Amino acid sequence: MPELVLSDITVMGQGYCVIGLEKAAAEAYRSVRPMPPRAFAWREPFPFRRGDSVRFDPVPTTVSRPHVEDQQSRGLIHTRHSLSEQELVECLRRAEVSRNLSDLFGCPLQASDRGGRAFWVNPAEAKRSVCGCEYDNVRFRVFADPEGLSLRAEISLCSGERISSVPVVDREWRRFVARLVGRIQRVDPLPLLGRFLNRSIALKLLAAPSRFARIGLPRPKADQQCWLMLDSLFPQPNESWLDLL
Amino acid sequence: MPALQPRDESAIRELIRKLVARELPPADSLPGDGQDLVKTGVIDSMGWVGILSGIEEATAIRNFGASWPEGRPQSIRALASAVHKGLGESKSRSGTVGSRGDASRDIAVSVAGWGYSLGARRLGAAEVEEECGLPAGTILGRAGIQSVSRAAGDETETSLGVRAAELALEKAELGPEDVDVLVATSATSLGFPSLAALLHSRLLVPESCAALDVGGACVGIIHAFAAAQGWLGGSRHRVALIVASEVNSRALARPGVPGEFRGLFGDGASAFVLRQTEDSAPAHFRWGDILSGCAGAHSSALSVIPGATGNLDVIFRGEQLATAAVSSLCQIVERLERLSGKSRTQVDCFALHEPNPRLVEIFAARAGIPMEKIPRIAQTAGNLGSVTCGVNLCAALSRLEEADPQSRERLIFTAAVAPGLLWAGAYLQQINHDKPIS
Repeated sequence: MPELVLSDITVMGQGYCVIGLEKAAAEAYRSVRPMPPRAFAWREPFPFRRGDSVRFDPVPTTVSRPHVEDQQSRGLIHTRHSLSEQELVECLRRAEVSRNLSDLFGCPLQASDRGGRAFWVNPAEAKRSVCGCEYDNVRFRVFADPEGLSLRAEISLCSGERISSVPVVDREWRRFVARLVGRIQRVDPLPLLGRFLNRSIALKLLAAPSRFARIGLPRPKADQQCWLMLDSLFPQPNESWLDLL
Repeated sequence: MPALQPRDESAIRELIRKLVARELPPADSLPGDGQDLVKTGVIDSMGWVGILSGIEEATAIRNFGASWPEGRPQSIRALASAVHKGLGESKSRSGTVGSRGDASRDIAVSVAGWGYSLGARRLGAAEVEEECGLPAGTILGRAGIQSVSRAAGDETETSLGVRAAELALEKAELGPEDVDVLVATSATSLGFPSLAALLHSRLLVPESCAALDVGGACVGIIHAFAAAQGWLGGSRHRVALIVASEVNSRALARPGVPGEFRGLFGDGASAFVLRQTEDSAPAHFRWGDILSGCAGAHSSALSVIPGATGNLDVIFRGEQLATAAVSSLCQIVERLERLSGKSRTQVDCFALHEPNPRLVEIFAARAGIPMEKIPRIAQTAGNLGSVTCGVNLCAALSRLEEADPQSRERLIFTAAVAPGLLWAGAYLQQINHDKPIS
């Protein structure tokens, strides 16, 4: 059975979309998206964490662009081995990476025509649905929305380009923000939350050697637009950061 | 598109309908104004955020929708009401929305934050002399420079500028999201995207934040202050970030650059946060008038022209330049005295450009200014170009902030000269309204 190191666990509706790294050559990795037999997302209970090494039993899968990493499986089995965050990021740096926006998905990025600042790609043109990049700076925006809170990020790449307003679908960051909100005993927690994320937490991120982001694409809808998402943001939030509030 | 006014109810409603329509599947018709867009499944949460972002972009209402109270309907009508309220708040903050402010309003511009960063490597005078092929004692003995700051391999104008900007913003207790105008100056960052654009992306200031580069070499920082002051004179821009950044060690490490010129320079960045201040507000240092000019008679004393083969053609007439620089600095001080109505003896600090430390000593002696009133970065970091005056201004502001809190009034003169011979000066004044007149 093939072995993967889980690199991305993202919130997808009520479930989780998962990506792992498979060894492609001596020093290189490639992304594989293991999926349950008849669905795109894994449901709770999903006991795995980023860095966990898993075995999986693949079954024949029909893939469509840009989700060329899809691989249906009969399930995931923990090998009892896990990588540290720093080890995982070193592996991610040897998987799909780009220094600039145009190489993220192998096709041009289209700017939103809605007056917002999000990017999308044409699924027929994209060559993959996930890619890593080093970042120089990050800022968060939190919006109130019907499901509670919507977390978005802006990222400045080492190339000097910026990715504006990407929804953060990283499971750990969403949980972290939800826990922060629980700690902020205010009628309107968002102003304090925004300041805290962009000052104390951003400083932690920018000081870390494991500064790395994985940008992903959702499955295309009828409009044939895949909007960029922030699948993973390293370093991952740390429990002790809650006490900085 | 003309700026929306709170009273433009139909225009507000039209804007919102347009943004809602863009979130709908192509075949769907626009819902009624009172219909809850989310509860009725017309749009999902991503669509809702898209509408909020679109409104924020189109109206320049900051953080629009960041707080949408539980229970408030998510309808076109409710959005229109929130936009109306947001525009009204913007107007009450800044006079009018999207247009020049009320001329009767007395808006001052004050320094809210400052910071600087120097290249991480430090070279002693002897190392500089060896590197530049100069006789021993030239840099320390003739120029008065003990050491110079040099950028490390991974440091650039952008990274040094970012570090200085972050310190200035922290001091001002503001974040990048608060910046409305970013003004950058550098004589060594010559490519495109320009330094202002690079800093804009790197700092993640809002996309609606203006970004501009100004020139002037060693007077560039004062030109940048002048540009920022102009932008802050209206009502749309309230906070400006000014960054000067130079990596002279790379720009001057080329054929054709005389060692006695190259050896004077160091690398670093300085940054300031300026903000509008109501005239009655106490405490911060306010910008007075800014002077600027060009004494072309001395333009041949220094010229630096890029050559066709990557070289720099440098004409550096040291003695002529020194005489012209000292004379110009003295004239700037005289002009600032007239402009501010204060004599040089009343000035607490002089933040100057230092072509080299010896020249500053000559200037001080000629102008009758005690050396202890002049912060001096060039002794330990070298001539930092446009950054020199900025670092010395940082030192002056910090020094006065810490000293004598009982003082009712504090005054700083700043002055710089540059090839051309460009000259510029300004004064900053702090009036502490809480303290009695002595």
